[in-house]
Amino acid sequence: MPHINTGDTSHNFDAIVIGSGISGGWAAKEFTEKGLKTLVLERGRDVKHLKDYPTTSMMPWEFKHRGQLTQQQKDDNPVVSKCYAFKEDALHFFVKDKEHPYVQDKPFDWIRGYQVGGKSLLWARQTQRWSNYDFEGPARDGFAVDWPIRYEDIAPWYSYVEKFAGISGNKDNLPGLPDGEFLPPMDLTKVEEYFKDFVGKNYKDRHVIYGRCAHVTQPQEIHKQQGRMQCQKRDLCQRGCPFGGYFSSNASTIPWAEKTGNLTLKPDSVVHSIIYDAQKGKATGVRVIDAKTKAATEYFAPVIFVNAAAINTNIILLNSTSDRFPNGLGNDNGLLGKYFAFHNYRAVITGKYEGLLEYTTDGKRPTSAYIPRFRNLVKQETDFLRGYAAGFHAMRPSYSKQDGFGTQLKDNLSKKDLGPWFVGSHMMGETIPKEQSRLFLDKDQKDEWGIPLLHTDIGYDDNDEKMVKDFFEQMTEMYTKAGFTDLKTRDSKQAPGLDIHEMGGVRMGHDPKTSLLNKWNQMHLVKNVFVTDGACMTSTSTQNPSLTYMALTARAVDYAVKEMKKGTI
Amino acid sequence: MLVSRRTALKQVLFVSAGLAILPSCLHDKKPPEFKVKNIDLNSDEEATLISLADVIIPGGEKPGARQVKADQYAMTIMDDCYPKADQEKFKTGLQAFQKEWKKGDDTFLKKMEETAPDASPASSFYHTYKDLLIQGYTGSEYYLTKVFPYELVPGRFHGSVLVNKG
Repeated sequence: MPHINTGDTSHNFDAIVIGSGISGGWAAKEFTEKGLKTLVLERGRDVKHLKDYPTTSMMPWEFKHRGQLTQQQKDDNPVVSKCYAFKEDALHFFVKDKEHPYVQDKPFDWIRGYQVGGKSLLWARQTQRWSNYDFEGPARDGFAVDWPIRYEDIAPWYSYVEKFAGISGNKDNLPGLPDGEFLPPMDLTKVEEYFKDFVGKNYKDRHVIYGRCAHVTQPQEIHKQQGRMQCQKRDLCQRGCPFGGYFSSNASTIPWAEKTGNLTLKPDSVVHSIIYDAQKGKATGVRVIDAKTKAATEYFAPVIFVNAAAINTNIILLNSTSDRFPNGLGNDNGLLGKYFAFHNYRAVITGKYEGLLEYTTDGKRPTSAYIPRFRNLVKQETDFLRGYAAGFHAMRPSYSKQDGFGTQLKDNLSKKDLGPWFVGSHMMGETIPKEQSRLFLDKDQKDEWGIPLLHTDIGYDDNDEKMVKDFFEQMTEMYTKAGFTDLKTRDSKQAPGLDIHEMGGVRMGHDPKTSLLNKWNQMHLVKNVFVTDGACMTSTSTQNPSLTYMALTARAVDYAVKEMKKGTI
Repeated sequence: MLVSRRTALKQVLFVSAGLAILPSCLHDKKPPEFKVKNIDLNSDEEATLISLADVIIPGGEKPGARQVKADQYAMTIMDDCYPKADQEKFKTGLQAFQKEWKKGDDTFLKKMEETAPDASPASSFYHTYKDLLIQGYTGSEYYLTKVFPYELVPGRFHGSVLVNKG
């Protein structure tokens, strides 16, 4: 493809950020605040805070199907319709299966949000820090490669992003889950408090805590400056929040970047590839296909951040081929797209609790309790590597009796009774990145924008099976001892991907021979290209990963700008 | 209980009287009651769905299924959200149900109440339709504003509240 638009200054920027989701939004904020003219390329449509949340204030009866999917929607979308949030009120924020096909060599549920803000509009907002038990995992247990960073490297950046995003939490003083900069927590329920006390008293190294989450429970000056208000506990976050109560690119980082005057945001811009100049020894820009007209354009900048979301970042790099890099950008070692991993979300346990029936709850809550990893935390002690965290919730729904018909039924429906407490936990298991777990591009088939189709070749292994079994055993024991009854365990056998925590393929490491990125998320072989989304992850640990992407992004931008000033980039 | 029973009976009688006239004036000309694409309903079947909705959650002083359009909702959901096989099962069940249910016949409905949903086509229809009517009724604007008001913006969550014994 010939270079087009060269010499046109409107195509030249100080920095290019590919993607506007949770990490791209942070890159945009950091670059523009530091005075760099920044181009953010988003492959989807624009979604403006408040203006483009069409369902946000709708009442339940205003939805034709009261939230349900139609059979046609299910038939047309066998993959995305498995996602818990793909419902009538939010389906406009998800990619439909037919629009963006890919090839599943092994089943993989790829859940995508192509719009400004990406999946930051839809995420579950859980924000737990990593500790050194996580960063030291691969080195201690002998898998993947050693992380080139430790907790001390990222801790100040966790604080930095937490203060801006607004994280609600308790200081729990747990070595495995470091405390952060917290706004007040929301309540745990009576039975969650009970289980927390019970586990604390009966298990030396197990804890139940309030899950830290990205909700502004008490707005600080920095949140007011963003135009965000206190979380109103609507629990309708997936629609987009009219209060900016939870953190999203749309409510927070993107408008913040816009206010600097340094942001150029281009929606409907599909990045085809990164342009590499062998003589200069660096990337010079990106090739973009207009999502609607399919016209090709190029944009140029001295530094490029790839934040397209884990899988799309892999695709862009794999598709960035040149004489120097015939197998993808910076991919001399052939590891690009490999060691891909995810979180194991297959296992669920539920039960009832017939105690504390003198208590109930009032209002709604968009979060729950959390059980940090307790297996193999300090040292190896089971027949599987690593471990799992778990959610925990105990709620007491009310219901109406539904037997009979006529006046009897009508009377019943005008009354509600409180049932027992319902308790439940879902597993969030660490999976081990393996060379054979990989993404690669089809040699022949291309999508509408001329980009080769993705193949997914990712599966569970024996370690994952053992971990599911252990989750059921340990949770059943804890639940039983706590007096929970009617326990049911369920292995959904869901495919990898539905966790929406896909990670890796462009991993960080010390050595260019065994990794793609250095400790600054900078490509070993292309120094002006950085990857700070899920693709950079060397291992997965158990914590919801978005907070770590945000912190890595802010840290990498800080480094990149310093290096640009020094002239090394 | 006696009073409500009497009211219920009056409802049923009223509905039955209405239905006795319906078939003659329903033929062909009247636009279909339910806007369904995938389920073919004749006027008798429509009439059954309507009168059954009125019997299951009757109107009166306070709105019932018909008044809040729960029957419309039920058929929209059956039409849009159920797989073809379930729609066919529903239709077959409706026909079986119709044969046995004489309007005003509480005994048959009581039998249905005591029959498992999968016991017969008629029972399957009855329970599916009743569930959908309840969904439509409890999800209606009336129910969510007047009976148990829905809070779009609760603004609070209290985790430990004493149950009011009052």
